[in-house]
Amino acid sequence: MSGIQILLFTLILFIGIYFLVRLKQRLYDIILLSSMVLLAITLVLFPAITNSVAKWLNVGRGADLIFYLSILTFWYLSLKLYVRVRRLERLFTEIVRNDALKEVHKLGTNPQLRDEEQPGKI
Amino acid sequence: MSKSDLIIIIPVFNEATVIRKVIGELINEGFSEIVIIDDGSSDNLQEIISDLPATYIRHKINLGQGAALQTGIEYCKATTAEIVVTFDADGQHCAESIHDLIQPILQGHADVTLGSRFLSETSKELPVSRLILIQVARLVNFLLFGYLFSDAHNGLRAFNRKAIDLINITENRMAHASEFPAQIRQNKLRVSEVPVKIKYDQYSKKKGQSGLDSVRVFFDLVLHKFFK
Repeated sequence: MSGIQILLFTLILFIGIYFLVRLKQRLYDIILLSSMVLLAITLVLFPAITNSVAKWLNVGRGADLIFYLSILTFWYLSLKLYVRVRRLERLFTEIVRNDALKEVHKLGTNPQLRDEEQPGKI
Repeated sequence: MSKSDLIIIIPVFNEATVIRKVIGELINEGFSEIVIIDDGSSDNLQEIISDLPATYIRHKINLGQGAALQTGIEYCKATTAEIVVTFDADGQHCAESIHDLIQPILQGHADVTLGSRFLSETSKELPVSRLILIQVARLVNFLLFGYLFSDAHNGLRAFNRKAIDLINITENRMAHASEFPAQIRQNKLRVSEVPVKIKYDQYSKKKGQSGLDSVRVFFDLVLHKFFK
């Protein structure tokens, strides 16, 4: 096993275990994550597989194929996160707004404008 | 129409140095229903304006100008207001412009009126960088939403009751300026542009949007258009 394989192998295992511990009872996510971890480990141990798939798809090298797929995955995840952030933003806007509208203050009725606050002096 | 039928909404975020003058000018023009939406200012705004006859609503955290305006609109929906005017807090709008702005609504010719600096003489005072930004914003609005008003980002607007009940701004930050015209079009509201005077002093120029803000607004608009 080469240095990079050991490094990738360790990182993949670490990420896999971290998320498995956190996900706990969500079966669908656990199956998806486990499959991804197994696939990643297989590709790290047998990189030639990526070359054969790349050749079949008319891409030069396996590494290039992984690179293209990573970009697409990153793009997809960014947009998915964006949609989630936007949903959260709407939710807390609504909470802050409702909270604000519960406390409407009627301020003073006796304006004491200073000289410099008179119109034309802005 | 009585005085209380017209409400002026002013979204405020850290404008302590000019806000009293802005409210003072509106009071002196005879407007009595002024609603201040404090968008999480850190300058103790409520205390600063506590003697002025205004309604004060505070967001506990800063959400953005669009969110503050919508909070003001929500407040107005619960009142019997016939006309609602949105007014900037940085002192660049003139209170006397409101009389002209609401005329098409009072005469029943429009549901919404948008203030435009380019229909008046003051547009000559506009800094070149701001002029370019506004023209680019106009083009983006046309490409994304299909409307072409003379002034893309003017905060001085007036709405009648029908428009107030229909408008619902969801863009929290500056992209709301493009959402107003988009919703006017979507709700088939009658709109008219009215020439208004804009004051360009050092303060309002400093508070205006930078080129970088515009890039952010552009991305907000594009992404929000596709991911509601």
